[in-house]
Amino acid sequence: MPNALALSHIHKSFDGFMALADAHFTARWGEVHALLGENGAGKSSLMNIAAGLYAPESGQLLVDDNPVQLGGPRDAARHHIGMVHQHFKLVQPFTVAENILLGQVPDNDDVRSYRQRLTDVRNAILTKSQELQFEIDPDQPVARLSVAAQQRVEILKVLLAGARILILDEPTAVLTDQEAARLLQTSQALARQGAAVILVTHKMADVQCYADRVTVMRGGRTVATINPGAVHEAELVRLAVGETLPPPLAVPPHPGAARLVLRAMRSSSHDGPPALNGIDLSVHAGEIYGLAGVGGNGQTELAQAVMGVLSLQSGTMELAGFGDLCTASTMQRRDMGIAAIPADRYGLALVGGLSVAENFGIGQVHSGRYGRSWWLNHRRMAKDAEAAVQTFDIKGVRSIRQKAALLSGGNAQKLVIAREFSRELRMVLVHSPSRGLDVRATAQVHERLRAARDAGAAVLLISEDLDEVLALSDRIGVIVRGKIVAEFGVPADRQAIGQAMVAHG
Amino acid sequence: MADLPLQQTAPSPVPPRVPHVPWLSRRYALELRQQLGWSQQLVIFVMSVLVGLLISGAILVAAGVSPQDILNEFVVQTLTDPQNLRAVLFQAAPMVMVGLAAALAFRARFWNLGLEGQMVCGAIGATFVSLHEIGPPALRLWLMAVCALLAGLVWVVTPVVMKLRLGINEIISSLMLNYVAVNFLLHLLYGSWKDPKDAFPYSAKFQPFERLPDFLDGFSSAIVLSAVVAVAVWWLVDKSRAGLYLRFVHSNQRVADAVGVPVRRMVLGTVLLSGALAGLAGFMVAAGQEGRLTQAFYNGYGFSGILIAFLARNNPLAASAVAVLVATLFVAGRSLQVFYQIPFSMVQLIQAILVICVASSDFFIRHRLRAVGSKG
Repeated sequence: MPNALALSHIHKSFDGFMALADAHFTARWGEVHALLGENGAGKSSLMNIAAGLYAPESGQLLVDDNPVQLGGPRDAARHHIGMVHQHFKLVQPFTVAENILLGQVPDNDDVRSYRQRLTDVRNAILTKSQELQFEIDPDQPVARLSVAAQQRVEILKVLLAGARILILDEPTAVLTDQEAARLLQTSQALARQGAAVILVTHKMADVQCYADRVTVMRGGRTVATINPGAVHEAELVRLAVGETLPPPLAVPPHPGAARLVLRAMRSSSHDGPPALNGIDLSVHAGEIYGLAGVGGNGQTELAQAVMGVLSLQSGTMELAGFGDLCTASTMQRRDMGIAAIPADRYGLALVGGLSVAENFGIGQVHSGRYGRSWWLNHRRMAKDAEAAVQTFDIKGVRSIRQKAALLSGGNAQKLVIAREFSRELRMVLVHSPSRGLDVRATAQVHERLRAARDAGAAVLLISEDLDEVLALSDRIGVIVRGKIVAEFGVPADRQAIGQAMVAHG
Repeated sequence: MADLPLQQTAPSPVPPRVPHVPWLSRRYALELRQQLGWSQQLVIFVMSVLVGLLISGAILVAAGVSPQDILNEFVVQTLTDPQNLRAVLFQAAPMVMVGLAAALAFRARFWNLGLEGQMVCGAIGATFVSLHEIGPPALRLWLMAVCALLAGLVWVVTPVVMKLRLGINEIISSLMLNYVAVNFLLHLLYGSWKDPKDAFPYSAKFQPFERLPDFLDGFSSAIVLSAVVAVAVWWLVDKSRAGLYLRFVHSNQRVADAVGVPVRRMVLGTVLLSGALAGLAGFMVAAGQEGRLTQAFYNGYGFSGILIAFLARNNPLAASAVAVLVATLFVAGRSLQVFYQIPFSMVQLIQAILVICVASSDFFIRHRLRAVGSKG
């Protein structure tokens, strides 16, 4: 089959940091080609070059074996390249049709009126949506759609802009098992129709089941291009990570008394049903309680309520020995030994514009570790931060005075964990801790959670990734529409949990 | 299609050499900078101020001032003539205070546009103590200062509490309170507080012990007070725990709240301090410059304070330096007015040009141009 897209000898650096060093990539028409690698391996950078967002310093880009120069995403669209980014580029208040119209390549000879064009786009959406079984209503505002539906809108956007080379950046990171399977089947179907689908991912299972070929990247270089059917998953991991990770030791848990008891938690709502609709659950000391569920069923609100950034309409949150948390400030909750690792790192945990040291030190400054209120011991804070960077294996920290925004997703998460875990803990709240993290970073994060549990903390793990919940939890609850609908002991039946997640929806 | 066994590509450790291309025929790309050292930031900042001064100079030359005289008025006279230097520092003292007040409020993400009203209230508070002869003469000046602090603080309570409690936009509420304060001032000056000795709208003269003393050859002690406050504010924002909290509040209030920073307390405390400092500036104008309560608040102190804080990037020490620069502009502007019939609004024009230049220098701190090869 002929080559659709070929990138060769690509170099790209950011402010002195070599993101891509002599990277190669070739995708053929009619295949699903996975691009595999850890965080920071250069997958997204390489694909951003293919989509015209970045200009490479050197190297060649061939579309249909013809060399091309891309001045921007518009140029890429003219060459039938379209990319669906990990963070969707949709205008939330606009309708689906308006968003897709925005994504069309403008044509100066087009004499149709705006209304006419919108109608044409609506019809095109309906046709394409039916063909792909997307069930998208073109008149819905994007803000009302679920994450999975927004992703389908993004795919429609690039397809209707004429893309035949489709790049999907970490498409399954935000989806449930069922949604992910559906999306990957759609990608396969598109490839069978002759398109080239590039799947940027670090999920081995996706690669093994759905990709025709896989290119593995590591440290900005292309390591290998192989047929995923021909090798074992372990071999793929070795190529991506560079070494095989030992499996974690299973330590039997010794759960103690109930530590956190949540009763009848209900959040207020302006329209529609409340996000939390009577949550009842208890987490014991020395156990990991995994809360599984399809995204958007109240997980975010539950996490925020326990953190103290969202106030409840009714219900109680009892922390053993401290009473109801509802009236406690976020500072008081920290003093009680509650650690929080929210899903939205830069929205609730880190300030990108401040330094690594400041983002680390804020966790303990209240305890007086860095001096009294009128004197902040910068030196001690820096020393602690440096030690934490070492202990928690945070990569990419050139100086602890560098901005936290410069850390990659996995390392930013490790910084949050380093801050939260650098003190004595009674209770740990984690929400999707491994979202966007690679194999190695995920393993390290999981190790930390197990260690906290073994040290006697109560761990409430909220995750939309069922594999993660199954791998870590000692007890599993399922949340649907702001309510716990089922609880399971371990070993739990994956099928039964999956059923519970969707049955009550 | 799955016919490739395990095709390893050879890594090449050496990045390619960029061939030399003449300057103008290169293709440039605009890039986001990851991070810039503070020394480079300072260079860009100073360059932008210089560009602003050059443009201002060109406008003054076009208005009929010879370049020689500009240099003479602005630089030589200010630095060499003690009379002028006194005038500049005299003018600078309250400006340092409003600059600090603005910088503090902005660090708490509170747009305190009511600095002028808080100054007026501070001056009224100080005059109240003087007119009613509260306290012994030895303590009178201190009492006046404290009363000015409190009055300025009280004037900012309404907007900050309305913002924190009800989410009411402080830009409007604090700005509108300026008019209330100024009209109250006029009410006093044309009414009960009018100096009985003559018919002009100002209060009775303060007693000598109610005026900020001079030292060393007539330099006002107001500038010393300003310097002390500037160092204290610098300590607060740079060296104290509250300073760290404030950096989080400034950068992202949601994250600050989530990581345990007492956001509301920080905003409330900082804004009250901002109002108090503005009140103290009012005290300096009344007890330092005028020696009585007058209408000397139409110089655009509020705007100057915002400008100073902006040019200094909310840094207290830099704010003091910028305040002296702005005061120089004021003093030189007044003599330009006298000798060249140049309107005083020219001074405000120069201020505006400086602000625009520094604002645009942000672009070069965040971005850079980089050659990416020859023009295709």
